[in-house]
Amino acid sequence: MSDGREERKEQEERRKWQEERDGRGDEPRRDWEQEGDRERRDSRSADSAAADAAVRAASARHTRRSFLVAAAAAAGGYGFYRWIDNSPGDQQIPRPLRKTLNVNAKVSHAIFDDRGLAPTYPVDQSMELRTNGNYGLKMDLIPGSYRLQMVGVANAKRHPRYVDDVTAWDYQYANATQPAPVEHDTKVAPRASAPMVGNGPDAKADPNGDAGMGQGPMMQGGQASTMVSSGGASSEAKQQPDILPAAAAALAAMKKAQGPKRPRGQEEAGESDDTLDPGTPGLLLTLDDVTSLPHQELVTQFKCIEGWSQIVHWGGYRLADLIAKYPPERKPDGSLPKYVYMETPDGDYYCGFTLEACMHPQTLLATEMAGQPLAQWHGAPLRLHMPIKYGYKQIKRIALIAYTDSQPDDYWTKLGYDWYAGL
Amino acid sequence: MLQTPEDDAGPFEQGDRSDTDESSQLNAHAQAETDPPPADIAAIAEEPAAVPAHPADAAAADLATAEEREPPRAAPATIRLERKHPFAIRWMHWVNFPVLFTMIWSGLLIYWNDSDNAYQHPHEVYRVGIGSLTIVRLFPAWFWKAINAPYRVTEGLGYHFFFMWIFAINGILYVTYLLLSGEWRLMVPERRSVGDAIQVTLVDLHLRKGLPPQKKYNGAQRIAYTTVILMGLGSLVTGLSIYKPTQAHWLTTLLGGYEMARWEHFWLTMSFCAFFLVHVGQVALAGWNNFRSMVSGYEIVPASKASLEEDRRAR
Repeated sequence: MSDGREERKEQEERRKWQEERDGRGDEPRRDWEQEGDRERRDSRSADSAAADAAVRAASARHTRRSFLVAAAAAAGGYGFYRWIDNSPGDQQIPRPLRKTLNVNAKVSHAIFDDRGLAPTYPVDQSMELRTNGNYGLKMDLIPGSYRLQMVGVANAKRHPRYVDDVTAWDYQYANATQPAPVEHDTKVAPRASAPMVGNGPDAKADPNGDAGMGQGPMMQGGQASTMVSSGGASSEAKQQPDILPAAAAALAAMKKAQGPKRPRGQEEAGESDDTLDPGTPGLLLTLDDVTSLPHQELVTQFKCIEGWSQIVHWGGYRLADLIAKYPPERKPDGSLPKYVYMETPDGDYYCGFTLEACMHPQTLLATEMAGQPLAQWHGAPLRLHMPIKYGYKQIKRIALIAYTDSQPDDYWTKLGYDWYAGL
Repeated sequence: MLQTPEDDAGPFEQGDRSDTDESSQLNAHAQAETDPPPADIAAIAEEPAAVPAHPADAAAADLATAEEREPPRAAPATIRLERKHPFAIRWMHWVNFPVLFTMIWSGLLIYWNDSDNAYQHPHEVYRVGIGSLTIVRLFPAWFWKAINAPYRVTEGLGYHFFFMWIFAINGILYVTYLLLSGEWRLMVPERRSVGDAIQVTLVDLHLRKGLPPQKKYNGAQRIAYTTVILMGLGSLVTGLSIYKPTQAHWLTTLLGGYEMARWEHFWLTMSFCAFFLVHVGQVALAGWNNFRSMVSGYEIVPASKASLEEDRRAR
C-alpha cells in the first residue's frame, strides 16, 4: 500500500513537526483523524485494524446515544418555545411572558426599591420633548373648564372642594387651533395625499396626515403608533387601513352630533376598567389648588420604550406634596391604599402607579416644559413627570387622581406592555 | 504529535512504537478478560501524566466494555477516543445557542421601533458612518420586512425580558464551571496565543502553511472563545444599564450614558453575529469529528496524541 519514497517523505514531514514542537515544548497538529487515517494506510498498522474498529464502534455507539439525547433536548427546547408562543394571551402577550414581566418588576422593586434618583443635567443640554401619541388630546381643552378630580382622599366630605359626583363635571373642548408638532414616531406609512412638512429638500410627507389635528390615520383606524402590537384589534385595523367612505361619513356625523362632549375610551386600548362610575364622590380641585404648592424644576432624561431619549427641562409641583395635602383615606386596618390611578378628562388615556412611585421626590405634576407653559399637545394644564418610569407612564392632561387598593388598569399594559415600566 | 511530551527519546519512527507510546493509549489496550480492573488503571498509570477519563462520565464505562470485547493481546489501536468537551460545557453551549438567538431576534423586534421612521431618527445611534456622512443605516427597510419585525415590539420585549434570565444564568454557570473545573486553562489566551492566532488566521486564509502546535484550542480559538465570553458579560452589563438606567444610573453613567450604553449593547450584538458566522464556518471546515465532539464529547484522535487530560491536570 505504500512505497518507500512516500514513507520517507512522511517521515521527513514528521521530523519537521518534531523540531518545531521541541522548539515550543508542545505538540503540533490538529487534524488528528486525518493523521490516524494516514497511519492506518501504513501496512505495519494493518494489525491494528481490529482494535481501531473497536474504538470506532465504541465511538459510534456513544455518538448515537448522544445525538438521541441531543434530539430529545432540541425537541424539548422547541416545545418550550411553542408552549410560550401558544399560551393564551394576558393583555396581548402570552401569559408566561406577562408573568415574567410581573416577576421582573418584583425583582427590580426588591433590589432597587425604586428609591434611586434619576441623574439631572444642566439646562443647556435640554430640548423640547418630542410629541409621541395624542391619546386623549385630540381636541383642545378649554382651560377654564379644567378641574382635577381626586378620589379616595381622607375626610373628603369635610373639604370645601367636595362634590357628590366628580364624573358629572363637564370638560369643555374646542377644535385644536394650532397644529401640534409632527409626531415623528408614528409608524403610519406616509400617504401620497398627506400634507408635506419641512421646506425645500427636507420636505417630507407628514405621516400623521394633519400634524396631530385629529383627522389623520391615527383617527381613521390606521396604525396609531409604533408601540402598537401585532395582536388583537390592531391587526384587524392593519388589514383594513382605509374605512369605507360611507362609514367615514357616519363617523363624522356621529362626531358632530356629540358636540364638544367626548365619548370615553375612544383610543385603541378601549375604555379603562377602572374609569369612575357615575356618582363617585370626591374633590374637584382647581389648578390654583395645585399651583399653590412649592414650585420645583428638574432637568432629567426622558426615556421612551421605543428606544429614544431626550433631556428635558421641567417645571411643576411634587406629586408627593399634593398627596401630603390631600392624603389617601386609610383602610380599616390603618394601612394606606397601594395604588394611584390617573386618567385624561375623556378617559381615553389612563395609567396606574404604586403610591410609592407617586411619592418619589422627582415625580412632578408638570406645568412647564423648557421654561414655557405646557402646550396643549404636551398635556396642559397638568402632565406627569416621573423619571423612574418609561414615557408611556407619564400621562398628559391629568383630570383624575384616584387612590385605590387594586392594581389599576393601564393603557399600554392593555396593549401588551409592562405595567411596572420601572427604569 | 506522535509522542508523549515526556518521551523525548527521538523522532517518531513508524513501526518502532515505544512502550510509553503504547501505555499512553487510553483505549487501545487489549485487556485480557482475566485482567483485574486495577491492572487497567495501572497500565494507564505507567505514563505518569495519564489518567482515566472523568469517572462521572458515563462514556468511560461504555468504552471500557469496548476494550473488554477485544481479543487478548491483539495489536494496539492506532486511534483512541479523547474526552474533548466535558458534559457541562456541551450542555451549556447548546443551551446558549437558541437562547442567544432568541435574545438577538427579540432585540431586533424591540429595535425596529426606533429605527424605521419616515424622519430618520435624530440620534443616529445605529449607523455606520463618520460625522455627518452615513454609509449605511441599520437596518434598511427590506431587512425589517424580511425578518417580519414591524409592529411586534411587545412580543420582543416579552421574550427579551424572559430569556435574559436564561442567558444570564447559563452564562454564569458556564463561567463558574470553567473556573471550578480548571477547564479555563485550556481556553484563556496564553502569552504566545496572539502570535499563534495570526499564524492560524494566515493558514486559514491559505497565505501561509504550518499550523502552530496547540492543546485543546489554538491561539485564535483561545482568543475568540474568551472574547465571546467577555462579550456575553458586556451584553449583560450594558443590558442592565439600559434596563434600569435610573436605579442603576451609576452603571449607565460609567458606560457613557444611556444612548452610549445602547450603542454598546447593539454593537456587541452585531459582534455576536459576526462571531457566529466565523464560528459556524470554521466548524464546517473542521469537519464531522470536531463537530461531533461538541455533542458527544469525544473526538477520535491518534492513539499517540498526548492526552488532553494531562493538560487539564497541568498546573
